[in-house]
Amino acid sequence: MWKWVRALDRVLRGEATRLPELSEETIQIPAVGLSAVVLGLGMVYGVCMGCFALVNRQELADRLGQLLASTVKVPALFMLTLVVTFPSLYVFNALVGTRLTLRAMLRLLVASLAVNLAVLASLGPIVAFFSISTTVAGYGFMVLLNVLVFALSGALGLTFLLQTLHRLSIARRGPMPLLSPASNPGMSEGPHPPPESVPPTPVPLPPEPRARQPVEVELVEEPGALDQIEGYVLGRHVKKVFGCWVVVFGLVGAQMGWVLRPFVGSPGTPFQWFRERESNFFEAVLETIRNLF
Amino acid sequence: MNSFLLRADDVLRQRPWTTKSAHTPSTLMHLGANIVFFGMAYGAVMGCFGGILGGRVQQVVYSALKVPLLLLATFLVGFCSFFVLNTLFGLRRDFAQAVRALLATQAGLAVILASLAPFTALWYASSADYSAAVRFNLLMFTVASLGAQGLLRGYYRPLIRRNRKHRWMLWTWIVIYAFVGIQMAWGLRPFVGAPGVRVQFFRAGAWENAYVEAFAVVARLLAGMLAS
Repeated sequence: MWKWVRALDRVLRGEATRLPELSEETIQIPAVGLSAVVLGLGMVYGVCMGCFALVNRQELADRLGQLLASTVKVPALFMLTLVVTFPSLYVFNALVGTRLTLRAMLRLLVASLAVNLAVLASLGPIVAFFSISTTVAGYGFMVLLNVLVFALSGALGLTFLLQTLHRLSIARRGPMPLLSPASNPGMSEGPHPPPESVPPTPVPLPPEPRARQPVEVELVEEPGALDQIEGYVLGRHVKKVFGCWVVVFGLVGAQMGWVLRPFVGSPGTPFQWFRERESNFFEAVLETIRNLF
Repeated sequence: MNSFLLRADDVLRQRPWTTKSAHTPSTLMHLGANIVFFGMAYGAVMGCFGGILGGRVQQVVYSALKVPLLLLATFLVGFCSFFVLNTLFGLRRDFAQAVRALLATQAGLAVILASLAPFTALWYASSADYSAAVRFNLLMFTVASLGAQGLLRGYYRPLIRRNRKHRWMLWTWIVIYAFVGIQMAWGLRPFVGAPGVRVQFFRAGAWENAYVEAFAVVARLLAGMLAS
């Protein structure tokens, strides 16, 4: 268990996604163990979310039922969204000729979900605090706060995904110096030929340095998990596919959340595991904002 | 006592020990003690509005407990997210120093508040208007927060010089802290204690949502303006 938490820590610190670590075209993480941590983090956030029902519902059975439902539904939301979107991502990537294997892609997605859920769970104490200090009248506020927290953590998780993909495309191009000679004088002290061995012929001027040349990559510090490393950009098609997938993942996730509702649980209605099929997520958010005023 | 006050002075002058990594546990202990002591000092004065006789001393004790509780509980609620965001943005190496900077700022805020306590006492002696007393305390907290902002910038300067991302992380922290702190302060009412009202630690119905209340006030104001 501790090993998996360490793996999560490595992902968050960006150690698992540094260029030398990605040389084998995959992230070196224990995917199964990290998935277990992802589930655990989702459950932690679910408990924080369920605190609102725990405080504001009358019946003990309703309180515990909603708490249990929230605890189970948050990790289920992420896993089901992944199940819905992963096959098409893999197929379209294969179509545009990416060299990412099924396992490598799955590891990449598990790592980005880990980032997503870690941020989500870290915001859990704030949500729990507001849940226990908000009464029935603040139900709309709690829904919007949760939507905001999900959106924020989702944005960071998907940024991690795109940046790691970008790094994978750099790592795939072969060995690159992590530090340029200019930034690390120790590296430039190689066996230079003595000055007298230089031929007396005129030496052509070196070309102007270009910002996007891969050999110009200069990392003064170890990059964080979300930092963009300059260098090769992604293949145009792969970038498009992942860009589309990020949008689709967000939309499917939002609608999956709507299908699995209630997460917070309106105190005015009896506890139920699932609500009737009606409307959609975006209409509901607009309606909640309108009701706030 | 003298050395304790000298350490509080060090916090205001941003002496190196307050953010140096050599003695982390003792540094955190000193900063925590500053927050509790000076926070309680201001809180005690804050709770004196209704007097200290006839059971009103209870309000003084409650307010003295609530001010450090407000500062420390707000810090703790936001801490988890601050840790994860620092790690994610590659700032984990500086995290210990960042936390010490934040705690030192909280200690500084408590010291500034305590230094403003005499003004509050004078205000209480001059006016029996409860609403005005609440507003005056709000003003004192605002002044102390502005002073603490200067401290925070000073403490964070070396971090920002090292890595510019610390500036964004600092703003993230300020947003989280303000968002949680407003609700925490709302929930911990009453701090001043209206005279003639039974003394209690939490006001009945105190745990409403501050933002929902604010929305409701704004909506009522807008409705009134539109109706007139």
